[in-house]
Amino acid sequence: MAEKKKTTKEILETKLADRKCVPLYNSEALKKLCREFNQWRNTVVREQDRGNWYVTPHTIIGSEIPREMLYTPLNNPDLDYAQDLGNSGQEPFTRGIHANMYRGREFTMRQLTGFGGPEDTNQRMKFMLAHGATGINILFDLPTIQMYDSDDPISRGQVGMSGVAVDSVDDMDLLFKDIPLDKVTVSLVAHYPSNTAILFPMYLALAERRGIPWDRLQGSVQNDITLEEVVRSGPEYIPPEDCFRIQCDNIEFIRQNVPLWNFITLNGYNLREFGASGVTEMAVAVANGIESIEEMLRREYDVDWIAERLAFFWSPASDFFEEVARIRAVRRLWYKIMKHKFNARKPRSLWMRCHVQTSGISLMRQEPLNNIIRAAYHALSAVFGGAQSLHVDSYDEAYSVPTEEAALLSLRTQQIIQAETGVTEVVDPLGGSFYVEALTNDIEARILDEVDEIERMGGYVAVIKRGWLHRKIADHFYREQSMIERGDIKLVGHNIYKAPGEVPPTEVFQYPEGVEERQKARLARLRERRDNEKANSAFTALKEACQRKKNVVPYTLDCARAGCSEGEIFKVFKQAYGLWRPPALW
Amino acid sequence: MVEGKIKVLLSKLGLDVHNRGIITVARELRDAGMEVICIGNSLPEEIIETAIQEDVDVIGVSSLGGAHLTLGSELVEEAKREGLKDRIVFVIGGVFSPTDAVKLQAVGFDGVFTPGATSEKIVSSIREFVSGKVAR
Repeated sequence: MAEKKKTTKEILETKLADRKCVPLYNSEALKKLCREFNQWRNTVVREQDRGNWYVTPHTIIGSEIPREMLYTPLNNPDLDYAQDLGNSGQEPFTRGIHANMYRGREFTMRQLTGFGGPEDTNQRMKFMLAHGATGINILFDLPTIQMYDSDDPISRGQVGMSGVAVDSVDDMDLLFKDIPLDKVTVSLVAHYPSNTAILFPMYLALAERRGIPWDRLQGSVQNDITLEEVVRSGPEYIPPEDCFRIQCDNIEFIRQNVPLWNFITLNGYNLREFGASGVTEMAVAVANGIESIEEMLRREYDVDWIAERLAFFWSPASDFFEEVARIRAVRRLWYKIMKHKFNARKPRSLWMRCHVQTSGISLMRQEPLNNIIRAAYHALSAVFGGAQSLHVDSYDEAYSVPTEEAALLSLRTQQIIQAETGVTEVVDPLGGSFYVEALTNDIEARILDEVDEIERMGGYVAVIKRGWLHRKIADHFYREQSMIERGDIKLVGHNIYKAPGEVPPTEVFQYPEGVEERQKARLARLRERRDNEKANSAFTALKEACQRKKNVVPYTLDCARAGCSEGEIFKVFKQAYGLWRPPALW
Repeated sequence: MVEGKIKVLLSKLGLDVHNRGIITVARELRDAGMEVICIGNSLPEEIIETAIQEDVDVIGVSSLGGAHLTLGSELVEEAKREGLKDRIVFVIGGVFSPTDAVKLQAVGFDGVFTPGATSEKIVSSIREFVSGKVAR
């Protein structure tokens, strides 16, 4: 009989069981401290504080982890500096992946941009770059995200909304007009594996057109099954196992052909914003990371070849210290997994690199200016946690897409943290805090427990198929909504310190007009101009690749080169894989 | 008052991806004793077709992606063409600017709910709108 596959937690427990601990605190000092602490607690601390020693912060998408009133070395008596923390840039990377962190490289200020047609977003990108943004983050409109063309009847009235419309390589060209693809780092927020496999090849085809070799392109794609099969609401879904295969096809193709590109951004953000605690957010992304690496090992690639380009995406929300601790915790956990489960050797493979976006669900519609303050704290916690790049949400997002003024303010928030507060001068400034270290340990254990739960149910794709994750999330946000309505979660201006009446922002974003007509006209021209025979044979080849479970990306690339549109390519996926019905959530 | 349960049809408007609001509302209405049908992402004509088949009292749509005015107006127009506008209550929830919220009411939505609307508010408004329509 085959031996039962060990879970990640079991592997780590076995591997780390006999490691020698060199405790920082000597036992005599701890004993003395313990006596004195108990005496202090019984004499100095008031009885009611003793009774309420543990308090649980209730926050939107918080983890509900109880906190003590005071933390001391007794919370972490076995602390082994080298093994548990290490210096920055050293294993286990708790204190940061680089020795000099932000002294060596500032966090990338990467604001999401996207609305209207490619021409409109091109203008906004140039505006942000001119004001000091150091990366570009492209958000696509609803039809593009859901993989329908602008001229599809289902897209009407939605073209260019909440993102930019991109139908083909021609739109990609307009989107990046006058932007040197080999000089900027570009994050294409094509959420799903399916649309990553369609849109990224259009970007590659554009680079070809401009004579830029792919090995000079830098940036990332999201490419995450969680977004396609769990977080999203959409009319059509392909089955999870096919979606996961495409996710790995993207990884494989991009790793082979675009070496500086981050081929997956293991996404916790959207899942958490949808409705999950900070612990579940990270457990799910880690579980997906593990399963993706295992699949790449099955495809006979070396672990280091894959691991050094993995990136994560987190949502820092309102519980400040929890957010700092979470990023530190998952960095150490990922290190342990890569080192001890996968036996990775290159230092880079052991790094949990991450982009963060401040929490949108934590922002309120009432008194929107308050959101500037909220987002600034979210951003600061991510910087204390050692994030690599940041997007700060804009204060007016409960009203519409941010205005230019609001988007600039988000960028300014980052620049103020960077240039004025001095927090980036010292690496991991909260490291060693009795509180933050105890919380880091606690959260790391909780993440691993949830990863274990997922693995015991058959792994990440299995829990998606079963609907377990869907239900967990729906339960979470339903409970959270009632906590807000009961006032257990306190929100200034919303359920406490309420001002009479609504105070909306002075100016709200207005979508540009005529986008849908422009997109439709461009598509009509494209279909007329392109070699339709070539396009059709590209579709046929793609369909066959899907059916034979070959890597689909070389074929979607040929489609992009032949001037095929996104909706046409997605149609091939649907025909080849059939449709999947996700579980009902209520 | 209506006899029996209030029957509500909920749908995401068009291609909007944001699911949290509508699922929360679906559960809230169910817990408030209403019969809820949730059909996911649909276009106005599909929503109206289902509403007729299911003979619902209320149509609630969710839109956080910007298409509330374009598709929202189409929905109400389609309902008028089918002669349903006076019989069925129309509510919409999502991310709208204050100006758009006013426009949506002008278009014909009985209730317009923005982020932060409480369960109590949504449930009581729907009950009120339904008895209002029946009274007419």
